Amino acid sequence: MVRVEDRPHRTPPNREAAELAGLIARVAEGREDALRALYDRTAPKLFGLILRIVRDRGAAEDVLQDAYLRVWQSAAGYAPEAGRPMAWLAAIARHRAIDLVRRKGEVPMPVAEDDEEDWLARVADPRDSEAEFLDRDALLACLGRLEPAQRDCVVLAYCEGLSREELALRYDRPVNTVKTWLHRGLAALRGCLDDAA
Amino acid sequence: MSTPDETDLRAAEYVLGTLSAAEREAYRRERAGSPALAAAERAWEARLAPLAGAVPEVAPPPGAWERIAARLPAEPAGPSAPVVDLRPALRRWRRAALAAGALAAGLALFIAVERLAPRPDAARYLAVVNRGGELPALVVQVDPAAGTVQVRALAAEAPRDRSLELWVVPASGAPRSLGLVREEAGTRLPLPAGDRALLDGASLAVTLEPPGGSPSGAPTGPAVYRGRLVRE
Repeated sequence: MVRVEDRPHRTPPNREAAELAGLIARVAEGREDALRALYDRTAPKLFGLILRIVRDRGAAEDVLQDAYLRVWQSAAGYAPEAGRPMAWLAAIARHRAIDLVRRKGEVPMPVAEDDEEDWLARVADPRDSEAEFLDRDALLACLGRLEPAQRDCVVLAYCEGLSREELALRYDRPVNTVKTWLHRGLAALRGCLDDAA
Repeated sequence: MSTPDETDLRAAEYVLGTLSAAEREAYRRERAGSPALAAAERAWEARLAPLAGAVPEVAPPPGAWERIAARLPAEPAGPSAPVVDLRPALRRWRRAALAAGALAAGLALFIAVERLAPRPDAARYLAVVNRGGELPALVVQVDPAAGTVQVRALAAEAPRDRSLELWVVPASGAPRSLGLVREEAGTRLPLPAGDRALLDGASLAVTLEPPGGSPSGAPTGPAVYRGRLVRE
């Protein structure tokens, strides 16, 4: 896997968000050059998100293409007040990737446990150009307060696209138990984040 | 009837991605009629978005952008384009050119706009002929007094089996051919006497035609450039 290294001169987050929002606005006007610029700046992040969920480079590229076509079609519906541009783009990519793996119904399970990513550590110490994703301190603090099983389920589901059934297999617990963990974890997270806001 | 909390947790699980394919479909159907559900979903996307920052970037496969560009619809997705832009046509043409492998690698075009010394005795017209991006690709100068149209084309790439033909498109009436645009910069074409009266408010267009130009005398191919004449 190729990792795009940190760019030496990182754009400050607010300017980055404003620039991406400006590009999305121009995509909404039908500007292919704006879509290209948006692609150049965001495709490695979106491809990383998709590949982590789909786990197959060919399928991941198909999803990436669909995601940018979706961006092209729905750019006019993007409202900056509804969320940061990178979050909007990430949502489009993730949902298309998840739809694909849910429809296929089978995804190769991630390999051995000791090879697992420590997602929380990665959130705390991001290596890529996600200066865009602000508010991570609050999320990290709130995730830290969850029961470990709840927290791990939430993080693995988000970052690796695991379904309830896959989480149940991984933790060797009934699906309903996982569902309860997820609901409790999410409700606690919501309470904690809303208090922090 | 679900409680507000259940509704919110469904939105949360949808965002998280843990629902089954059928549950995701059902959720989206419900969301279409429920602004509250859509709002709950947006709030969850915002709450969880920082997690996306933890996932490492991966360079997409080479050629992925070209495959996306080839799938873009021909019509612009947004509101109508400005007058001088023929982006959809350009896109089709550019795709055709890509498919033919005839497009030079670099699409960025720069042009040195050479300002000829103005002559006091004649109004001239200048058109910067737009290729859809920010960069002018052709500068067309029309000199009615001298009866010439001068085209400075920089990298006006035509596929090898096509010709670029320049047209004057009057404010009303049919386009008239001014001749073929040559690859080398600085093509000079004679301006037919009858066309000189049509120049006010006219546009110039370049279309992609069979080798040697349109057989019918009217444009047959897509307009790949277009610009409005401005009196200099």
